[in-house]
Amino acid sequence: MAIYINGLGNISIQDSVRKTTISSPISYSQPLVSCIDPNFKDYINPLQLRRMSKIVKRAIVSALLAVEDAGIVMPDAIISGTGLGCMADTEKFLSAMIENSEKFLQPTYFIQSTHNTIGSQIAIYLKCHNYNNTYSHISLSFDMALYDAYLQFLLGDIQSALVGGYDEMTPDYFQQLNKVGYWKENVQDSLYITESETDGSFAGEGSIAFVLSNSPMNAYAELKGVKFLHAPKNNEEVKRFFNAFLKDNNLAAEDVDIFMMGKSGDSKYDKIYDEMAQMFFPQSQWAIYKNLSGEFYTASAFGFWSAVTSLKNKQILDIQKVNNSERNSFSNILLYNQFQNRNHSLILLSSCG
Amino acid sequence: MSDDVFVTGLGIISAIGTGVEESLFTLKSSVSKIGEIKHLKTAHHDIPCAEVPFSDEALKRKLGIGENEVVTRAALLGIKAAREAFESAKLHKVKELGLKIGFINGTTVGGMEKSEQYYLDFINPDTRNYSDYIEPHQCGTCTETIADYLLDFDFITTISTACSSALNSIILGANMLRTKQLDCVIVGGTECLTKFHLNGFNTLMILDSERCKPFDDERAGLNLGEGAAYLVIENEKSVKLRGGVPICKITGWGNSCDAFHQTASSPNGEGAVLSMRKALKMSNLRGGDIDYINAHGTGTPNNDESEGVALMELFGEDVPPISSTKSFTGHTTSAAGGVESVIAILALQHNFIPPNLHFKNKMSKLSFSPVTKLKENVVINNVLNNSFGFGGNNSSIIFSKIR
Repeated sequence: MAIYINGLGNISIQDSVRKTTISSPISYSQPLVSCIDPNFKDYINPLQLRRMSKIVKRAIVSALLAVEDAGIVMPDAIISGTGLGCMADTEKFLSAMIENSEKFLQPTYFIQSTHNTIGSQIAIYLKCHNYNNTYSHISLSFDMALYDAYLQFLLGDIQSALVGGYDEMTPDYFQQLNKVGYWKENVQDSLYITESETDGSFAGEGSIAFVLSNSPMNAYAELKGVKFLHAPKNNEEVKRFFNAFLKDNNLAAEDVDIFMMGKSGDSKYDKIYDEMAQMFFPQSQWAIYKNLSGEFYTASAFGFWSAVTSLKNKQILDIQKVNNSERNSFSNILLYNQFQNRNHSLILLSSCG
Repeated sequence: MSDDVFVTGLGIISAIGTGVEESLFTLKSSVSKIGEIKHLKTAHHDIPCAEVPFSDEALKRKLGIGENEVVTRAALLGIKAAREAFESAKLHKVKELGLKIGFINGTTVGGMEKSEQYYLDFINPDTRNYSDYIEPHQCGTCTETIADYLLDFDFITTISTACSSALNSIILGANMLRTKQLDCVIVGGTECLTKFHLNGFNTLMILDSERCKPFDDERAGLNLGEGAAYLVIENEKSVKLRGGVPICKITGWGNSCDAFHQTASSPNGEGAVLSMRKALKMSNLRGGDIDYINAHGTGTPNNDESEGVALMELFGEDVPPISSTKSFTGHTTSAAGGVESVIAILALQHNFIPPNLHFKNKMSKLSFSPVTKLKENVVINNVLNNSFGFGGNNSSIIFSKIR
């Protein structure tokens, strides 16, 4: 049984809509940035558009792009990951409730506040009655959605799935997370954020969807494995996790052409990436992606996009390279992301020839 | 080894009781626990709800958690119920035996009950008051907190599909057992009352100002409840290796999307038909084999009609004995799939059908009425439980006796 990535749709803080590479990477120097949105009217009819929140518009457009790209009619499953859900509408209802002492409230923002609004609005738009699920588990929200699809492919329960990671950053939540040390005080050049030696990272947002199927037709890449490690007590445990994953996938460390890391520029938590890169993959091309996407709970979806497009294009952007090990082959990319050293994930992707 | 999914432990806390024993007693006493709000500080104290009758402080004391430890109410309820599930399945040796164990939690409010209390401080850049509660707002943090007070798990995740969150957690757990990713999983969900969703449901005008009357022709809405409930589910290897005692098996499940409207169910109950049909097909059971249905049955005009029509579509003239125990527990939203799975399993285990309280008038559009009086000493081999969420996230599950 093989699982392929056949379609994608990416709305991010880079110029990524309908693209398979970032031709002119944008550098940011302000701390709070927004996605470069497409013209939603080109995709969604205005009557429906009026009632949708921004995150839902973005999610539907990326889903439509992925479905169109894959050339499928209806996915067998819609599985969504979102760390924060529909934060903007949640905040609108919450502030109105507090300001008006629980009086004179309108239901609209509440209706659109639940995390599964995203996945169900996609289903309503596509008229898709199939399996539908939503994961909200911090930095693993997208990875868990991918994993659910992976399990169902293994079981033969599905032949295709629309899997996505969707998160929006609001000014208020940015401010709240700032108080608990998420963000850097100053961002000079976001493209070089991982060279920073200070704590905190650079915030992003995104809406990134994929169609996975068991057909190799026009595939970008093949998904080989997904695995998680929860709250390791020390780096030894992380090493065992890497060893076990490589073994499960019958892969030698030197076969990893690109080791793509979720380094966010947060000096407090980025060290583990370097340690694993040096220990396991000294000959691999080391790469990063959060200098393009920013950090958010489903940023790993951008990493996944970057990996599958790199495998297809047999090329990786210079701005993503963090060592000098150029590789001739583009067969395997290992994606590694961790958040606050609690939630670690490994995803293995291979080229389709 | 078979692919069977065994249930070996249960844990529950809701308005109807702390623990399985107390909950069973309330169900058999036919006493609704929907009443006045005592702990949630809301302007709408006149709206009936089914609260867990303990303050956060009292819950912390019960759990041996220090009063200054950062644990939100949903997490406290979750810890209480998950610990009971763990104890009842006697999982203590699971790690020593080298078995892989996971925790899958469903929630939607996460830490909202603290966010709504401290929001003005949260958004004020000039104060750090209550900042420790900023990250626990998130659903995933709620799950991680519960896990931290329980065990060193091999896998943890959070599902958030509104009112079907807990049932979808059970389904993921079952799929992880079938694919041999785990040997044993604690699955279910937790949700506490918040002003946020009490006001939200209130603006939708679907809250009954009296105790809810599911499936009644004059039903006027739902009552919110709170609680947490988990099952311990295991594969055969795990049950054998650690000498677990199975209570029942999960023989079928189905997840579908109504894909009709964000908050309303389709008039023909399309999504509900699909999820129940998938569950029946997987279990290889016929409609007539189902001895009891624990309905989603919220008591809203829309849900009960849509679910009822779906049941008629699937079971024809012979809709099995059915009740909505939300008339006891209120609608525990994200926890409902856990709370009601525990209740459905208790019915299976103790051969009784809990009544659908407050019912008077048969619905004109439906051919059937719910069970209104406690039925004891009935043979129950298979039970079906439904959980339907906002956005049409519909799920169904079947528990079967082990023969």
